[in-house]
Amino acid sequence: MLCTVSFENLRLELRRGCLVLAVLAALRDEQCGYTLRKALAENGLAIDEGTLYPLLRRLESQRLLASEWRQHDKRNKRFYRLTGDGTEILEQLLAEWRDIDASIRAILEKQGAGSWN
Amino acid sequence: MELVERYLQAVQFWLPRGQKDDIIAELSEDLHAQIEEKEAGLGRKLTDVEVEAILRQRGRPVLVANRFLPRDYLIGPVLFPIYMFVLKIVMLGYVVPWILVWIGMMIYSPGYRVQHAAHSWLEAFGYVWSSLWGTAFLAAGTVTVVFAVLERVQKKSGFLEKWDPHKLPPLRNPNVITRPSAFFELVINALGVVVWVTNMYSPVTMISEVRISVSPLWPWFFWGFLLVSLVNTALAAVNLTRPFWTTQRAIVRLLSDATGSALFCWLLKANILTGFAVAGMSLERTAEITQLINYWVGRAFPIAVAIGVAVLCGNIYRLVRLKTGRTHPALQAIAH
Repeated sequence: MLCTVSFENLRLELRRGCLVLAVLAALRDEQCGYTLRKALAENGLAIDEGTLYPLLRRLESQRLLASEWRQHDKRNKRFYRLTGDGTEILEQLLAEWRDIDASIRAILEKQGAGSWN
Repeated sequence: MELVERYLQAVQFWLPRGQKDDIIAELSEDLHAQIEEKEAGLGRKLTDVEVEAILRQRGRPVLVANRFLPRDYLIGPVLFPIYMFVLKIVMLGYVVPWILVWIGMMIYSPGYRVQHAAHSWLEAFGYVWSSLWGTAFLAAGTVTVVFAVLERVQKKSGFLEKWDPHKLPPLRNPNVITRPSAFFELVINALGVVVWVTNMYSPVTMISEVRISVSPLWPWFFWGFLLVSLVNTALAAVNLTRPFWTTQRAIVRLLSDATGSALFCWLLKANILTGFAVAGMSLERTAEITQLINYWVGRAFPIAVAIGVAVLCGNIYRLVRLKTGRTHPALQAIAH
């Protein structure tokens, strides 16, 4: 039981940073919140709306995203896209992500942790 | 769809004022998109039960709204450990003396005892407990308010984030004995031995015009206290030259303190004063005063026992610490 709880907490912690990266990457193409959520879920990164919308607002307040309300399919929707600053930050974060990935691979390989693909 | 609107209204209630409409418009759009997609898949309108299931999955309105609220603390992570520390100190400095004073009053003040423990000690304790909590909450509340204000100031000025590593306190090693304290102990004990030997040997002493005589048990106390003082003097001299605790010295201190405490407690209960004589005072009067002095000295017995136990606990803790070697390696390096 304790092990399950610990895993769940650690998994959420690990996912938190990854979600920011995934959202920024997904918004290289303009999308509204709902389609973004679906796209992330289809790619194995399900995120509930209670997490996604506050995150979008936070990223927008940091000027990494821009948004606008527009009529689409007879409904008013808010569309998000990456800004210039957002693109730059995304590139830096992706480089960081690759470094972390390489470091963890190196650690696991040194320890002979078996298959790691 | 009334259920959806009611849900959104409930979420809206908790949202920050300036963003209510914007957030609700977006949440509403997301919710309606999800419902429409499901309806398109099923080829019919969703039932109330199905809508309810979607809303349940989204979560309680206050929790959904909470995620949009700015992260705000009454006392934030920077100040929280300090707040808890101060709170513990205040509670300890308040509750413990309160209980000690209450015990003292119950033992030494017959009037107080009659007034508050007419039926039982338990009843009296219940009375004091209830009044203690009123003031304890006030103290805790005051500390909390002060820290909440500090948190606001800290958030604006960031004064706690500016710090200098050089201003950190020096390494403390509880096993190190400071030379001034060893020297002070040596002087006090040596002076004590001189005064004791020169003035307290005889069971009959003259102080000014008063002739004081003590119990025939006195030689036990005289030699006992002298032995304890001599041991303490020798220990202080060794501590001055080798200023750190060792297991052997901690055992000697434990034995010396145990003997001293036991002797003192015995002294209080031994009706040590047998009489005194002053010119112009009747024998009956001096006997009465002698009895009164012995009575009040005897009443101090529980306090002496409590102090003795506390001192011994401190000694045992020191021994355990030395035996288990639970000191930081850097601190051990200082000691040796």
